[in-house]
Amino acid sequence: MNFSQKLYSSAGVVFPAFGTIAVLASSGLIDPYLAYVATSWIIFGLLGLSLDIVWGRGGLLSLGQTAFYGLGGYFGSVIAINMAPVTGNTLIWSLPAGAAFGALSAAALGYIIFYARMGSLQSTILSYTFTLLLLVLTQTFRLDVGDAVIGGDNGMSNIPGFVLGFGSAAEALTPNSAFATVVVIAAVLYFFTRWLMRSTFGRIVNCVRIDSQKTELLGYDVRKYQLLNFAYAGAIAGIAGAMFGAWSNYLNPSVFSVSEAISVPIFVLVGGLGTLAGPFLGALIIGGLSFWLGGGSVGGQTTLILGLILVLLVMYLQNGMLGGLTLVWKKFLPDSNEAARLAGAVQIDTDVLEGILKDAADHAGPAKDVSSTNLFKQFGGVIPVNKISRHFTTGRPYSIIGPNGAGKSSFLKTCVGIYKPEGGKVQLGDEDITRSQIFDRVKKGLGVKNQKPQVYGELTVLENLWVAAFSRTRNDADALVICNKILGMLGFEKQSGVEASALSHGQQQWLDIGMVLCLAPRVVFLDEPAAGMTNEETRELSLLVRTLAKHTTVVVVEHDMEFVRTLEGHVTVLHQGKVFAEGDIQTVRANERVLDIYLGRREHV
Amino acid sequence: MELDYLATVLLSSLASASILLIATIGLAVVFGLMGVINLAHGEFLMIGAYAALTTTKLGIPYILSIPVAVLITMAIGAVVEILVIRRLYGRIFDTMLATWGISMAFLQLAVLIFGTVTPGIGMPQYNFQIGDYSLAGYPILMIGVAALMMAFVYFLMTKTVYGMKARASIQEPEMARAIGIQSARVNTMTFAIGCGLAGFAGAVLLPIVPATPSMGSVFVIKAFLTVVVAGPVTLTGSALAAIGLGGGASVTASFLTSVAGDAFFFLITATLLWLYPLGISAKWRWKM
Repeated sequence: MNFSQKLYSSAGVVFPAFGTIAVLASSGLIDPYLAYVATSWIIFGLLGLSLDIVWGRGGLLSLGQTAFYGLGGYFGSVIAINMAPVTGNTLIWSLPAGAAFGALSAAALGYIIFYARMGSLQSTILSYTFTLLLLVLTQTFRLDVGDAVIGGDNGMSNIPGFVLGFGSAAEALTPNSAFATVVVIAAVLYFFTRWLMRSTFGRIVNCVRIDSQKTELLGYDVRKYQLLNFAYAGAIAGIAGAMFGAWSNYLNPSVFSVSEAISVPIFVLVGGLGTLAGPFLGALIIGGLSFWLGGGSVGGQTTLILGLILVLLVMYLQNGMLGGLTLVWKKFLPDSNEAARLAGAVQIDTDVLEGILKDAADHAGPAKDVSSTNLFKQFGGVIPVNKISRHFTTGRPYSIIGPNGAGKSSFLKTCVGIYKPEGGKVQLGDEDITRSQIFDRVKKGLGVKNQKPQVYGELTVLENLWVAAFSRTRNDADALVICNKILGMLGFEKQSGVEASALSHGQQQWLDIGMVLCLAPRVVFLDEPAAGMTNEETRELSLLVRTLAKHTTVVVVEHDMEFVRTLEGHVTVLHQGKVFAEGDIQTVRANERVLDIYLGRREHV
Repeated sequence: MELDYLATVLLSSLASASILLIATIGLAVVFGLMGVINLAHGEFLMIGAYAALTTTKLGIPYILSIPVAVLITMAIGAVVEILVIRRLYGRIFDTMLATWGISMAFLQLAVLIFGTVTPGIGMPQYNFQIGDYSLAGYPILMIGVAALMMAFVYFLMTKTVYGMKARASIQEPEMARAIGIQSARVNTMTFAIGCGLAGFAGAVLLPIVPATPSMGSVFVIKAFLTVVVAGPVTLTGSALAAIGLGGGASVTASFLTSVAGDAFFFLITATLLWLYPLGISAKWRWKM
């Protein structure tokens, strides 16, 4: 690794650290008025960071961040007004109170959004509605809490400023020191957030954004991760709000206004979505622009310029300043995906595979049977799964075939829980899993590979496998051991650092299968695993499936008849959502009625 | 007398629901037929209002200023579609943010051109009585106008070649292109029509809602929530959502306070979104 590469990978630490030091060093020297105004830019940057966590990392464009900011501000300030006389210091009261209230209100809203599994547009709208509701309600909300007077649209005044010292002699900081204090708090929160987003938690949040369904199919309760992430961002917004209260000594319902709500995505977009440091840069640029254009406050032509900036950003600079810079920088670095082209054909070593499967059995227990009883699924007038009763067990692979639209994939998806059945039962081992959540079924031993390869394109091959293995082990080191075994079996050792999106379609299929194996499933569902594979690869796959079936229960949905023949297993033919014929492949092939429906001739069509 | 009061409240609530519906239809058409949420919709309403106001000041009768407003907003809408929206197809959140930016720019331009305060035009004066209560006639007239707008859009979508093409393009975009429908041109037309409907709304509501640069934002939030609550069925869904939300809010406001009315609106919106994450009409068989 050369200097440029090293700097690239640690850019998120080096530059913000330099920036913090430079700002702190100059904080005593600048004009007090500039320091006062610049304090608000840092606070807005922190508010932007909270949106970047939810939007850039979690994938939800929330227009509710100003709501948590305002609520945290009000609550933190109420506590500070009442408690500051006791200690002198204000921040030890307002910041934790703001964080707690921001996190709680975000968790309440997030619970509705994520546990109802809302669509992304509806989630955005609901978060926006929440902000508007607060805007309306706070206009008339009057309440005296101890010394704090919340006065509806008159707002709440007498909020104590930044006091760091203790005791009755402690005085409010000068604008320059307050600026330095806010910079330090923001820097601490930024570095903590960066650490959190690179921890196991943050990596899984990333995966949920990239492919929520796949993450759930790997056994993660995605709702929980989204909710925690949202609540954490709510806490950051609440802290920002509490600092805003201390900065302006006054809060009123305009913190919930529409123009506040939209300024946050602008900060994030200007700086760079998902970069974490970007929102601070964005807030500095926008804040600085309105300071020098419009005399400090938003006025003059600032709205016009902001509007045009927003349009141009969305159209031409999607990744913002930092994102754009990163792309340019990356062009000068060696291509990390080069190894993708060097990959040879996958060759399955059955001894290695047997070893992996025996380990898995030691770890996860014996294979489980899976069965459906009168399973029924309907879409309007179409019935893709019409009272199918099947029992699958270990020993040899089961294939499900049938013409297009026969209900093969639908049957599989209903067993997995992607579709909710209208009737019937699905059992895994002795347990009824008909109503279980997908991740719960996976934890109980179901492994699923869907029709198109589902890999996290922006993660490396190793990271992809790690996410799957970590779901099973919940331990970083153990997960890496499993990953390395699977990498070895697939012959992907040299490609471990390649982004999954750089792999060919067939290689992605193998990676997806590898991810399923990482889970140590007791039942494996494979939906058209041979699609997009070469003849040699299909042969290897057949070997893998046969070996797999000796240790677990395997059900394969497939179009490729030659592949099904080599599996030497049990074949079920579906037609119009019903079991049409079954037996071994020779029996099915000799069945005239099966040929009829496949070729579309005579009376059985 | 109680009955009279109830009738008055119901009638004026239906009128407010109709006003909401008038302000919403253009947005619903653009969302339903292009999958685009136009957050600048309120500013097109504002442009329509100013266009009508300026035309009447030039001495042209109010009734004739309405088509002028429609033409101007349609033209601006077409330009916006070609310059911005077209480049962002399929990126719903990006279009939302871009149109939000456009709305900010238009708002500020209106402040620059017209100033923040403008005289309204007088409401055509005719009142009628229900028992002891007197109601202004013009808002009640809006119930009819809303019905006419709905009928117009229904006719446009089902009986014209453009309407067929537009519906084909949204249902099966690839198939529509394969049989030679120029979906880009259809989309420009759809967006222009949506903006034209906003312009019409701004002009026709001018006697009730005086033209100010920020008048759009008053409407757009509620209009936009109505559309999202309504879901994919453009006309019937929006009408039902507008009557339920707007009418309900207005009834609440007459018995309690206007804040309670707004709170009702937002709370019901949140509840409906929770119960119907894809909109109330997501599972309807009826598609218009």
